[in-house]
Amino acid sequence: MAPGTLSTFLKRGAIWGFIVLELVFFSVAGEFLSLSDKAFMDLDNMLLLFKQSAPIGIIAIGMTIIMINGNIDLSVGATFALSAIVLLDSMTWPMFGGLGDGVIPLAWGLALMTGVVLGALNGLIVWKTGVDAFIVTLGSMLGYRGLVFMYNGEQPTSHLNWTLVDLAESQFMGLHTPTWFLIAVTAVIWFVMNKTVHGRNAYAIGDNRTAAINAGIRVGPHFVINFMIIGFLASLSAVVFYSESGSVNPNDGELYELWVITAVVLGGTKLTGGAGSVLSTLGGVLAIQLLRKGLGHIGADTETVNLVIGLILIAVLFLDRQLNLKGREALKT
Amino acid sequence: MKTSFKSALVATTAFVGLTLSGAAMAETMKIGITQNNVGVDSYQTTYEKAFIAAADANDKVETVVLDAGGDVARQIAQMEDLIQQEVDAIIIWPTNGEAVIPAVRKAHKAGIPVIVTNSNIAEQGFEFVKSFSGPDNITQGRRSAEIMCDKFKAMGTENEAKVVHITGQPGYTTAIERAKGFDDRLPEVCPNVTQIDKQPGDWNREKSQKVMEAFLVKYDDIDGVYSGDDNMGVGALNAAKAAGREGIIFVGATNFAVGYEAMGRGEYWGSIYQSPVDDAEAALKTAIDVLSGKDIPFLNYFDTPKITQDNMAEFDKPVF
Repeated sequence: MAPGTLSTFLKRGAIWGFIVLELVFFSVAGEFLSLSDKAFMDLDNMLLLFKQSAPIGIIAIGMTIIMINGNIDLSVGATFALSAIVLLDSMTWPMFGGLGDGVIPLAWGLALMTGVVLGALNGLIVWKTGVDAFIVTLGSMLGYRGLVFMYNGEQPTSHLNWTLVDLAESQFMGLHTPTWFLIAVTAVIWFVMNKTVHGRNAYAIGDNRTAAINAGIRVGPHFVINFMIIGFLASLSAVVFYSESGSVNPNDGELYELWVITAVVLGGTKLTGGAGSVLSTLGGVLAIQLLRKGLGHIGADTETVNLVIGLILIAVLFLDRQLNLKGREALKT
Repeated sequence: MKTSFKSALVATTAFVGLTLSGAAMAETMKIGITQNNVGVDSYQTTYEKAFIAAADANDKVETVVLDAGGDVARQIAQMEDLIQQEVDAIIIWPTNGEAVIPAVRKAHKAGIPVIVTNSNIAEQGFEFVKSFSGPDNITQGRRSAEIMCDKFKAMGTENEAKVVHITGQPGYTTAIERAKGFDDRLPEVCPNVTQIDKQPGDWNREKSQKVMEAFLVKYDDIDGVYSGDDNMGVGALNAAKAAGREGIIFVGATNFAVGYEAMGRGEYWGSIYQSPVDDAEAALKTAIDVLSGKDIPFLNYFDTPKITQDNMAEFDKPVF
């Protein structure tokens, strides 16, 4: 076995091992503590797990690419909210009045376009100014959120369309609509990251930007494309979620960027870029949602969720550091 | 080593879980609650404590107490989890009165009665809800009008007094209902008192202060100010104090700590006392009554009494 293979395996596997641990723990604890007669690992409950992971999960998959690049995007929560507003409000615009339910795909399109445009804006600023993505997207996080509040003040933007709700609530082959979107997004981005030049370039840039430039990779346009992808995915997440709920508060999506980044880091993607895996991110997302679900299942106070996730995050980073150290030592000997 | 560290973490969580969930018993009512955002203000924090205390005191009830942290997505997920856990009833404090309607419909379809607490969901969702437990804002507005009128009568100014009115945020049901209650009741009890102006203060103290400043410039004679809550009332009071105008009777609603203190100083006349403890206990009782098959009105209000400088000693200072 080549040096480092074991540590890579442990890093990749750690999140799945943790998920198994959570499942076992909540199943056993649930028998004693839960007031529900149903088992925690009831099939329906597990299907719900995937469905409930979708809003954060779809964005987290996109964040993985951004973070492999060595960038970060803090504006995803605001993009999420703004796309939701466009989605719900455009259905009531008088110019689409005659379309009936035909307005639905149009509203979807407009909402997705919102995300792509906002993402492209982020990417262009990062490219043309050379300012760190953290600062740029911190600015756009505030700016986009400002747009959200300008749109309708402090009031929610609402349009409840039962056709849309029924569509979003439907189940195809047992899986909920949001689950299908989560699976599709994971599959597509996995393919992009592992089987295309663009994906391999993302790793190269994150690992060593100077080397990547010397190798002829056009880093600027590459960033713009990735920011457009995550903008699109933030909107897609909003489209999937708000199709089922029909009303958006102006503060919706706040702190989503932090949950998303937490999921990505739990999945083992490095903050410095160059390494990471889409599938492990999915694991990170599931681990967070499992924790929320499980603690609710055994009747623990929901505030403990944040505490436990925080502790686990630190544990994961510590573990990652330890394994990396060992990997390097192995190389030396 | 890593496994033992993690299981230690998880075990800690389990202890927290143990202390919070009561011992399982047969044939008890399982009631789940998903709250809006515990910890964001002390009204909600006190509400949660009171709810847990009330549930613990009743050995026929087992509860799952959840908090959505202000996040609609998390609240909808919690509704789904409670349906999945097959609780007997769900109490919801909506994060968004419209976004939760589809989730409420899911519970309704699963045959689980839903009780909305504190602030109601939008009318489109009424058919999926068993009962609303919360304050009666129209009565609150009417009572504020009575407080004001009684004070004018005591001062002997009930035939000449002029009143201005600062409402909550336009579009909010609470704001609309309180304003309606006040506007309807005042001419009934004090037909000769005139309401000379009405402007929104958006539940905001600074905004209300500005509105009041404008009123003071515009009108030389103002005898009473009614505000949709004490937060705005204190803003108006500050404007009057800054302008050196005395003798104005201030009446609000939802007694805040600042309002209570101003009453103690004799600057603010009265308000409506709305206790988070009563709110929580009413919600739990409504759920229990629904499950016991009692006939419950769709709008099941808890009492929010009048509080003035005369009787404020009977009430604890509000925590918010």
